[in-house]
Amino acid sequence: MNIRKMLQPQGPIRFRKRLNLHAGILRMMAVATLTVLFLITVSLSPSLAHPNPSIPAIEKKMVLVPAGPYQPFLKREINKPIQVKAFRMDQTAVTNAEYLEFVKANPEWRKSNVNPLFADKNYLAHWKGDLEIGTGRYNHPNAPVVNVSWFAARAYAKWAGKRLPTVPEWERAGNGRPENLGNKTLIAYILEWYSKPNPARLPTVKSTYLNQYGLWDMHGLVWEWTFDFNSYLNSSDSRGGTQDENQLFCAAGSLGVQNKEDYAGYLRFSYRGSLKGKYCIPNLGFRCVKDL
Amino acid sequence: MKNYILCLFALPLFLAACQPANQQPQARAVTETKAAVPQPNEEELAESLFQLPDTFQNQDGKPVVLADFKGKPTVVSMIFTHCAFVCPRLTADIRQMEQSMGEEGKKVNFVLISFDTDRDLPARLKQYAREQQLDQNFTLLHGSEGAVRSIGVLLDTQFEKDEDGNFAHSNIVTVLDPHGIIRYRKEGLGQDHTQTVKEVEKYL
Repeated sequence: MNIRKMLQPQGPIRFRKRLNLHAGILRMMAVATLTVLFLITVSLSPSLAHPNPSIPAIEKKMVLVPAGPYQPFLKREINKPIQVKAFRMDQTAVTNAEYLEFVKANPEWRKSNVNPLFADKNYLAHWKGDLEIGTGRYNHPNAPVVNVSWFAARAYAKWAGKRLPTVPEWERAGNGRPENLGNKTLIAYILEWYSKPNPARLPTVKSTYLNQYGLWDMHGLVWEWTFDFNSYLNSSDSRGGTQDENQLFCAAGSLGVQNKEDYAGYLRFSYRGSLKGKYCIPNLGFRCVKDL
Repeated sequence: MKNYILCLFALPLFLAACQPANQQPQARAVTETKAAVPQPNEEELAESLFQLPDTFQNQDGKPVVLADFKGKPTVVSMIFTHCAFVCPRLTADIRQMEQSMGEEGKKVNFVLISFDTDRDLPARLKQYAREQQLDQNFTLLHGSEGAVRSIGVLLDTQFEKDEDGNFAHSNIVTVLDPHGIIRYRKEGLGQDHTQTVKEVEKYL
């Protein structure tokens, strides 16, 4: 195709043609200059020490979790419910296939490159290679990605333009009323899951239950990282914390928790308290949230 | 680009690895009986906290990355300045460690990192340093919520903000060697820090 025709499709008059041609060339030059400037800015940006912020190849559906109170699980000296602001949350946990896109774009998070400060040796242990999910029992592309550290989950969230949920956000979302569990209470359902060993084959996302906010598998598939998982005080030294596990274990028995029926909540908080940021565990994945 | 960044991280580590070797003859001359400063192996270096990319601000409002503490052993703890009882106590424990070391204390970084990203801005940290009579060996750090959570996770320090903006938290004193590797931790308040001081002195 003639380049002149492309540049000024509308003008039959020769004079206007030339003007348009000049304007077109100028515009192209301006665009080229801006592009170069943009590329220079991007390449010089110090934020490159962090994962590349970019638009992920996979669009993930997010649903609204409306604002509301969350009653902290442990009783506090100041015992007020926490007001959780409305936020959007990934409808499902991040999958193997989605995580693959992240490691493609961020080589420092590939299995063979990962920094041992930020992920232990079990990082993506079930994957076949750096860029190969493989075909094992935990490797379905739509199964939640597991064996990822907290640092890795945070890096993924940042790359996706999102963040990890806080404990109050996750708990509020996780307490959403089940839509398809029949007459079973949520607590009974969760305890049933907790009582089972890890499955031989990790099911895909959307294989358990849906809750009132439109969130799938908040319980029953994998445990999930939260931003402040280390907020639960399980200090081993009773003189250590201003508030600590004494509230759970000593003197008051389990009366220190808000709802002593919620044995499932108790287990969840203990689980979080036992984690370290670089741990990679075969039943622990994550999903992301975003502010409104 | 990533490779360049990695090189940038790696370079100071190499330089740091060379440094103590150059300094050793001097140190030996002064204290003949003193054991050689233990050197980290590659595996240990890979877990140096100095790799944390986040930038903090010190009590003078100047940008600080953890790698700035390279070359000296570092005693680090996490606090918040509106803490009525526990944090001043922990701060006093660390100040006492410094005092017990006498002149040697000047060869150590003492670092306090605040949980309170909202209220503990550099000016407030400076005021706290004055109130607690902390000298110039002390660096007090303010950081973003993400940065403070990351260092909290790395130091195994648990903390949680309550509805009034105060923090429930664990009290831990951690010793980093001159390469940023965690070498010792002591949990609790009003502890006997004789051993902590000994651990620090291994790297002088």
